[in-house]
Amino acid sequence: MKIKNILLIVFVLLMLPASPASAHKVIIFAWVEDGMIHTESSFGSKRKAKDSIITVMDEKGLMVHQGKTDQDGKYSFKIPDHIQSDLILNLTAGTGHQAQWKLSRDELKIPPSQKDIQAAMKEKETLEESPSVFKIIGGIAIIFLLALAVKFSKRKPNLK
Amino acid sequence: MHISEGVLSGPVLAAGAAIAVAGTAIGLKKIEYDRIVHVAILASAFFVASLIHVNVGPASAHLILNGIVGLLLGFAAFPAILTALVLQSVFFQYGGLTALGVNVVVMAVPAVFSHYLFLPLIGKSSTLTFTAGFLSGLLSILFSSLLLGAALWFTDKNFFETSLVIIMANIPIMIIEGIVTGFCVTFFLKVYPEIIPKKKL
Repeated sequence: MKIKNILLIVFVLLMLPASPASAHKVIIFAWVEDGMIHTESSFGSKRKAKDSIITVMDEKGLMVHQGKTDQDGKYSFKIPDHIQSDLILNLTAGTGHQAQWKLSRDELKIPPSQKDIQAAMKEKETLEESPSVFKIIGGIAIIFLLALAVKFSKRKPNLK
Repeated sequence: MHISEGVLSGPVLAAGAAIAVAGTAIGLKKIEYDRIVHVAILASAFFVASLIHVNVGPASAHLILNGIVGLLLGFAAFPAILTALVLQSVFFQYGGLTALGVNVVVMAVPAVFSHYLFLPLIGKSSTLTFTAGFLSGLLSILFSSLLLGAALWFTDKNFFETSLVIIMANIPIMIIEGIVTGFCVTFFLKVYPEIIPKKKL
Protein backbone atom coordinates (compact mmCIF):
# COMPACT_ATOMS: atom_id res chain seq x y z
CA MET A 1 0.00 0.00 0.00
CA LYS A 2 2.88 2.34 0.72
CA ILE A 3 4.07 2.20 -2.89
CA LYS A 4 0.55 3.02 -4.09
CA ASN A 5 0.37 5.99 -1.75
CA ILE A 6 3.69 7.30 -3.08
CA LEU A 7 2.51 6.79 -6.65
CA LEU A 8 -0.73 8.64 -5.86
CA ILE A 9 1.24 11.62 -4.52
CA VAL A 10 3.56 11.55 -7.56
CA PHE A 11 0.54 11.48 -9.84
CA VAL A 12 -1.16 14.39 -8.07
CA LEU A 13 2.08 16.40 -8.26
CA LEU A 14 2.39 15.63 -11.96
CA MET A 15 -1.16 16.82 -12.53
CA LEU A 16 -0.58 20.15 -10.77
CA PRO A 17 0.63 22.02 -13.84
CA ALA A 18 -2.15 20.44 -15.89
CA SER A 19 -4.61 22.82 -17.44
CA PRO A 20 -7.29 22.63 -20.11
CA ALA A 21 -5.68 23.36 -23.44
CA SER A 22 -5.98 22.58 -27.09
CA ALA A 23 -3.23 20.13 -27.84
CA HIS A 24 -4.26 18.98 -31.26
CA LYS A 25 -6.13 21.88 -32.72
CA VAL A 26 -3.56 22.87 -35.32
CA ILE A 27 -3.90 26.46 -36.45
CA ILE A 28 -2.18 28.61 -39.03
CA PHE A 29 -3.26 32.22 -39.22
CA ALA A 30 -1.98 34.64 -41.88
CA TRP A 31 -2.44 38.28 -42.76
CA VAL A 32 -0.92 40.84 -45.15
CA GLU A 33 0.78 43.99 -43.92
CA ASP A 34 3.29 46.35 -45.61
CA GLY A 35 3.93 44.06 -48.58
CA MET A 36 4.67 41.12 -46.31
CA ILE A 37 2.70 37.99 -45.44
CA HIS A 38 2.83 37.30 -41.72
CA THR A 39 1.90 33.95 -40.22
CA GLU A 40 1.37 32.61 -36.72
CA SER A 41 1.00 28.89 -36.10
CA SER A 42 0.01 27.09 -32.93
CA PHE A 43 -1.71 24.08 -31.33
CA GLY A 44 -4.05 26.48 -29.53
CA SER A 45 -3.11 29.66 -27.73
CA LYS A 46 -0.32 28.36 -25.48
CA ARG A 47 1.62 25.86 -27.58
CA LYS A 48 3.33 27.43 -30.56
CA ALA A 49 4.09 25.34 -33.63
CA LYS A 50 7.89 25.73 -33.63
CA ASP A 51 10.17 24.75 -36.52
CA SER A 52 7.16 23.78 -38.61
CA ILE A 53 7.21 23.94 -42.39
CA ILE A 54 4.99 26.43 -44.19
CA THR A 55 4.44 25.72 -47.86
CA VAL A 56 2.79 28.40 -49.98
CA MET A 57 0.95 27.29 -53.09
CA ASP A 58 -1.01 29.07 -55.80
CA GLU A 59 -4.47 28.05 -57.02
CA LYS A 60 -2.97 25.46 -59.37
CA GLY A 61 -1.12 23.78 -56.50
CA LEU A 62 2.31 25.00 -57.59
CA MET A 63 4.67 25.81 -54.75
CA VAL A 64 5.66 29.47 -54.78
CA HIS A 65 7.41 29.70 -51.41
CA GLN A 66 8.50 27.60 -48.46
CA GLY A 67 9.77 28.50 -45.00
CA LYS A 68 9.99 27.46 -41.37
CA THR A 69 8.37 28.94 -38.26
CA ASP A 70 10.54 30.35 -35.47
CA GLN A 71 10.42 29.53 -31.74
CA ASP A 72 7.24 31.61 -31.37
CA GLY A 73 5.50 29.84 -34.26
CA LYS A 74 5.88 32.94 -36.45
CA TYR A 75 7.07 33.25 -40.02
CA SER A 76 6.95 36.27 -42.36
CA PHE A 77 7.92 36.63 -46.00
CA LYS A 78 7.59 39.08 -48.86
CA ILE A 79 4.56 38.64 -51.13
CA PRO A 80 5.88 36.62 -54.09
CA ASP A 81 6.29 38.72 -57.26
CA HIS A 82 3.75 38.59 -60.11
CA ILE A 83 1.20 36.58 -58.13
CA GLN A 84 -2.21 36.68 -59.83
CA SER A 85 -3.91 34.03 -57.76
CA ASP A 86 -5.12 33.23 -54.26
CA LEU A 87 -2.44 31.77 -52.03
CA ILE A 88 -2.86 28.65 -49.90
CA LEU A 89 -0.56 28.45 -46.91
CA ASN A 90 -0.07 24.89 -45.70
CA LEU A 91 1.35 24.28 -42.23
CA THR A 92 3.02 20.90 -41.60
CA ALA A 93 3.57 20.59 -37.87
CA GLY A 94 4.82 16.99 -37.81
CA THR A 95 3.35 13.61 -36.79
CA GLY A 96 0.08 14.02 -38.62
CA HIS A 97 -0.60 17.66 -37.75
CA GLN A 98 -1.52 19.89 -40.68
CA ALA A 99 -3.56 23.04 -41.24
CA GLN A 100 -4.29 25.50 -44.05
CA TRP A 101 -5.03 29.18 -44.48
CA LYS A 102 -6.18 30.88 -47.67
CA LEU A 103 -5.30 34.45 -48.65
CA SER A 104 -7.39 35.81 -51.50
CA ARG A 105 -5.77 37.76 -54.35
CA ASP A 106 -7.68 40.86 -53.19
CA GLU A 107 -6.06 40.65 -49.76
CA LEU A 108 -2.63 40.47 -51.44
CA LYS A 109 -3.21 43.59 -53.57
CA ILE A 110 -5.19 45.98 -51.39
CA PRO A 111 -3.44 47.11 -48.18
CA PRO A 112 -5.63 46.21 -45.18
CA SER A 113 -7.24 48.95 -43.13
CA GLN A 114 -6.91 49.12 -39.35
CA LYS A 115 -10.45 47.75 -39.17
CA ASP A 116 -9.47 44.71 -41.30
CA ILE A 117 -6.49 44.00 -39.07
CA GLN A 118 -8.61 44.23 -35.94
CA ALA A 119 -11.21 41.88 -37.46
CA ALA A 120 -8.45 39.45 -38.44
CA MET A 121 -6.98 39.52 -34.93
CA LYS A 122 -10.40 38.82 -33.45
CA GLU A 123 -10.76 35.86 -35.80
CA LYS A 124 -7.34 34.61 -34.64
CA GLU A 125 -8.35 34.84 -30.98
CA THR A 126 -11.57 32.95 -31.72
CA LEU A 127 -9.60 30.18 -33.41
CA GLU A 128 -7.19 29.90 -30.51
CA GLU A 129 -9.63 29.96 -27.62
CA SER A 130 -10.23 26.82 -25.56
CA PRO A 131 -13.49 24.90 -25.98
CA SER A 132 -16.38 26.34 -23.99
CA VAL A 133 -18.11 24.50 -21.14
CA PHE A 134 -21.23 24.55 -23.30
CA LYS A 135 -19.46 22.50 -25.99
CA ILE A 136 -18.11 20.02 -23.42
CA ILE A 137 -21.51 19.51 -21.77
CA GLY A 138 -23.18 19.40 -25.19
CA GLY A 139 -20.79 16.65 -26.31
CA ILE A 140 -21.48 14.55 -23.22
CA ALA A 141 -25.22 15.05 -23.69
CA ILE A 142 -24.95 13.82 -27.30
CA ILE A 143 -23.04 10.70 -26.14
CA PHE A 144 -25.78 9.85 -23.64
CA LEU A 145 -28.54 10.50 -26.21
CA LEU A 146 -26.82 8.12 -28.61
CA ALA A 147 -26.50 5.56 -25.79
CA LEU A 148 -30.22 5.96 -25.18
CA ALA A 149 -30.86 5.30 -28.88
CA VAL A 150 -28.73 2.14 -28.77
CA LYS A 151 -30.50 1.05 -25.59
CA PHE A 152 -33.86 1.59 -27.29
CA SER A 153 -32.78 -0.43 -30.34
CA LYS A 154 -31.56 -3.30 -28.14
CA ARG A 155 -34.56 -3.48 -25.83
CA LYS A 156 -36.27 -6.85 -25.66
CA PRO A 157 -39.90 -6.95 -26.84
CA ASN A 158 -42.47 -7.45 -24.10
CA LEU A 159 -43.97 -10.89 -24.80
CA LYS A 160 -46.81 -10.77 -22.27
CA MET B 1 -2.54 11.36 -31.60
CA HIS B 2 -5.22 12.98 -33.80
CA ILE B 3 -4.27 13.01 -37.49
CA SER B 4 -5.35 16.18 -39.30
CA GLU B 5 -7.19 16.64 -42.57
CA GLY B 6 -5.20 16.18 -45.77
CA VAL B 7 -2.23 14.30 -44.31
CA LEU B 8 -2.94 10.73 -45.35
CA SER B 9 -3.37 9.20 -48.80
CA GLY B 10 -6.71 7.86 -50.09
CA PRO B 11 -5.93 4.14 -49.69
CA VAL B 12 -4.81 4.63 -46.06
CA LEU B 13 -7.96 6.62 -45.28
CA ALA B 14 -10.12 3.96 -46.95
CA ALA B 15 -8.41 1.10 -45.10
CA GLY B 16 -8.78 2.95 -41.80
CA ALA B 17 -12.46 3.65 -42.46
CA ALA B 18 -13.11 0.00 -43.38
CA ILE B 19 -11.48 -1.32 -40.19
CA ALA B 20 -13.27 1.31 -38.10
CA VAL B 21 -16.66 0.40 -39.61
CA ALA B 22 -16.04 -3.32 -39.05
CA GLY B 23 -14.86 -2.76 -35.47
CA THR B 24 -17.80 -0.49 -34.71
CA ALA B 25 -20.29 -3.00 -36.14
CA ILE B 26 -18.80 -5.79 -34.00
CA GLY B 27 -18.74 -3.46 -31.00
CA LEU B 28 -22.38 -2.42 -31.39
CA LYS B 29 -23.41 -6.06 -31.74
CA LYS B 30 -21.45 -7.08 -28.66
CA ILE B 31 -22.66 -4.32 -26.33
CA GLU B 32 -24.86 -5.88 -23.68
CA TYR B 33 -28.06 -4.03 -22.86
CA ASP B 34 -27.10 -3.53 -19.21
CA ARG B 35 -23.65 -2.14 -20.10
CA ILE B 36 -24.73 0.60 -22.51
CA VAL B 37 -24.58 3.22 -19.77
CA HIS B 38 -20.98 2.14 -18.98
CA VAL B 39 -20.09 2.63 -22.65
CA ALA B 40 -21.56 6.15 -22.48
CA ILE B 41 -19.64 6.97 -19.26
CA LEU B 42 -16.32 5.80 -20.70
CA ALA B 43 -16.96 7.50 -24.07
CA SER B 44 -17.60 10.74 -22.15
CA ALA B 45 -14.37 10.28 -20.17
CA PHE B 46 -12.46 9.73 -23.43
CA PHE B 47 -14.14 12.79 -24.99
CA VAL B 48 -13.15 15.08 -22.09
CA ALA B 49 -9.72 13.56 -21.35
CA SER B 50 -8.20 15.21 -24.42
CA LEU B 51 -8.77 18.60 -22.77
CA ILE B 52 -6.55 17.70 -19.83
CA HIS B 53 -3.15 18.89 -20.86
CA VAL B 54 -0.28 17.56 -18.80
CA ASN B 55 3.07 19.32 -18.61
CA VAL B 56 5.97 17.18 -17.47
CA GLY B 57 9.27 19.00 -17.69
CA PRO B 58 9.79 20.31 -21.20
CA ALA B 59 7.24 17.92 -22.70
CA SER B 60 3.49 18.35 -22.79
CA ALA B 61 0.66 16.18 -24.06
CA HIS B 62 -2.97 15.44 -23.34
CA LEU B 63 -4.60 12.37 -21.82
CA ILE B 64 -6.17 9.83 -24.18
CA LEU B 65 -7.51 7.08 -21.88
CA ASN B 66 -7.90 4.47 -24.62
CA GLY B 67 -6.34 1.89 -22.28
CA ILE B 68 -9.07 2.00 -19.65
CA VAL B 69 -11.82 2.40 -22.26
CA GLY B 70 -10.65 -0.76 -24.02
CA LEU B 71 -9.89 -2.69 -20.85
CA LEU B 72 -13.45 -2.24 -19.58
CA LEU B 73 -15.35 -2.26 -22.89
CA GLY B 74 -13.55 -4.64 -25.27
CA PHE B 75 -14.90 -4.26 -28.81
CA ALA B 76 -17.47 -1.73 -27.54
CA ALA B 77 -14.46 0.63 -27.36
CA PHE B 78 -14.84 1.07 -31.14
CA PRO B 79 -18.27 2.80 -31.07
CA ALA B 80 -17.30 4.65 -27.86
CA ILE B 81 -14.06 6.02 -29.34
CA LEU B 82 -15.69 6.72 -32.73
CA THR B 83 -18.42 8.83 -31.11
CA ALA B 84 -15.95 10.70 -28.90
CA LEU B 85 -13.61 11.39 -31.85
CA VAL B 86 -16.45 12.72 -34.03
CA LEU B 87 -17.43 15.10 -31.23
CA GLN B 88 -13.80 16.11 -30.58
CA SER B 89 -13.39 16.84 -34.28
CA VAL B 90 -16.61 18.89 -34.54
CA PHE B 91 -16.46 20.72 -31.20
CA PHE B 92 -12.71 21.05 -30.55
CA GLN B 93 -11.30 20.84 -34.12
CA TYR B 94 -9.11 17.88 -33.10
CA GLY B 95 -8.13 15.76 -36.10
CA GLY B 96 -9.83 15.69 -39.47
CA LEU B 97 -13.19 14.11 -40.23
CA THR B 98 -11.76 12.39 -43.32
CA ALA B 99 -9.03 10.90 -41.09
CA LEU B 100 -11.64 9.73 -38.58
CA GLY B 101 -11.40 6.05 -39.56
CA VAL B 102 -7.62 5.99 -39.16
CA ASN B 103 -7.84 7.91 -35.87
CA VAL B 104 -10.38 5.37 -34.59
CA VAL B 105 -8.11 2.48 -35.58
CA VAL B 106 -5.05 4.13 -33.99
CA MET B 107 -6.84 4.48 -30.64
CA ALA B 108 -9.37 1.63 -30.58
CA VAL B 109 -7.29 -1.33 -31.80
CA PRO B 110 -4.80 -1.06 -28.87
CA ALA B 111 -7.81 -0.58 -26.58
CA VAL B 112 -9.33 -3.90 -27.68
CA PHE B 113 -5.96 -5.65 -27.30
CA SER B 114 -5.67 -4.35 -23.75
CA HIS B 115 -9.06 -5.89 -22.96
CA TYR B 116 -8.05 -9.35 -24.10
CA LEU B 117 -4.56 -9.15 -22.57
CA PHE B 118 -5.24 -7.61 -19.18
CA LEU B 119 -8.88 -8.12 -18.18
CA PRO B 120 -8.24 -11.74 -17.03
CA LEU B 121 -5.77 -10.34 -14.45
CA ILE B 122 -8.23 -7.86 -12.92
CA GLY B 123 -9.44 -8.91 -9.48
CA LYS B 124 -6.79 -11.62 -8.92
CA SER B 125 -5.07 -9.50 -6.28
CA SER B 126 -4.77 -5.78 -5.63
CA THR B 127 -1.16 -5.70 -6.88
CA LEU B 128 -2.01 -7.66 -10.00
CA THR B 129 -5.08 -5.47 -10.65
CA PHE B 130 -3.02 -2.29 -10.42
CA THR B 131 -0.22 -3.77 -12.56
CA ALA B 132 -2.70 -4.93 -15.23
CA GLY B 133 -4.30 -1.46 -15.27
CA PHE B 134 -0.91 0.24 -15.42
CA LEU B 135 0.30 -1.92 -18.31
CA SER B 136 -3.03 -1.48 -20.09
CA GLY B 137 -2.70 2.32 -19.97
CA LEU B 138 0.99 2.37 -20.84
CA LEU B 139 1.01 -0.21 -23.63
CA SER B 140 -2.15 1.18 -25.26
CA ILE B 141 -0.41 4.51 -25.82
CA LEU B 142 2.76 2.75 -27.02
CA PHE B 143 0.77 0.61 -29.48
CA SER B 144 -1.23 3.67 -30.62
CA SER B 145 2.04 5.53 -31.26
CA LEU B 146 3.28 2.65 -33.41
CA LEU B 147 0.00 2.53 -35.36
CA LEU B 148 0.16 6.30 -35.88
CA GLY B 149 3.73 5.90 -37.12
CA ALA B 150 2.58 3.14 -39.49
CA ALA B 151 -0.26 5.33 -40.85
CA LEU B 152 2.13 8.23 -41.42
CA TRP B 153 4.73 5.89 -42.95
CA PHE B 154 2.75 5.97 -46.19
CA THR B 155 3.28 9.74 -46.26
CA ASP B 156 6.70 10.18 -44.66
CA LYS B 157 8.21 6.88 -45.82
CA ASN B 158 10.18 6.74 -42.63
CA PHE B 159 8.42 4.48 -40.18
CA PHE B 160 11.16 4.16 -37.54
CA GLU B 161 12.05 7.84 -37.38
CA THR B 162 8.40 8.96 -37.32
CA SER B 163 7.43 6.33 -34.75
CA LEU B 164 10.41 7.23 -32.58
CA VAL B 165 9.41 10.91 -32.58
CA ILE B 166 5.82 10.01 -31.64
CA ILE B 167 6.89 7.55 -28.92
CA MET B 168 9.38 10.01 -27.41
CA ALA B 169 6.71 12.73 -27.32
CA ASN B 170 4.26 10.37 -25.64
CA ILE B 171 6.53 8.80 -22.96
CA PRO B 172 5.21 11.09 -20.17
CA ILE B 173 1.62 10.38 -21.18
CA MET B 174 2.30 6.61 -21.26
CA ILE B 175 3.47 6.70 -17.64
CA ILE B 176 0.64 9.00 -16.52
CA GLU B 177 -2.02 6.95 -18.31
CA GLY B 178 -0.54 3.79 -16.79
CA ILE B 179 -0.86 5.27 -13.28
CA VAL B 180 -4.34 6.71 -13.98
CA THR B 181 -5.59 3.40 -15.41
CA GLY B 182 -4.04 1.40 -12.55
CA PHE B 183 -5.70 3.58 -9.91
CA CYS B 184 -9.03 3.77 -11.75
CA VAL B 185 -9.30 0.00 -12.12
CA THR B 186 -8.35 -0.57 -8.45
CA PHE B 187 -10.86 2.11 -7.43
CA PHE B 188 -13.65 0.75 -9.63
CA LEU B 189 -13.11 -2.76 -8.28
CA LYS B 190 -13.74 -1.47 -4.76
CA VAL B 191 -16.53 1.06 -5.23
CA TYR B 192 -18.12 0.35 -8.63
CA PRO B 193 -17.39 -3.29 -9.53
CA GLU B 194 -20.37 -3.37 -11.92
CA ILE B 195 -18.30 -1.49 -14.50
CA ILE B 196 -15.78 -4.37 -14.69
CA PRO B 197 -17.07 -6.91 -17.22
CA LYS B 198 -18.23 -10.09 -15.50
CA LYS B 199 -17.43 -12.38 -18.38
CA LYS B 200 -13.71 -12.71 -18.17
CA LEU B 201 -13.19 -14.35 -21.51
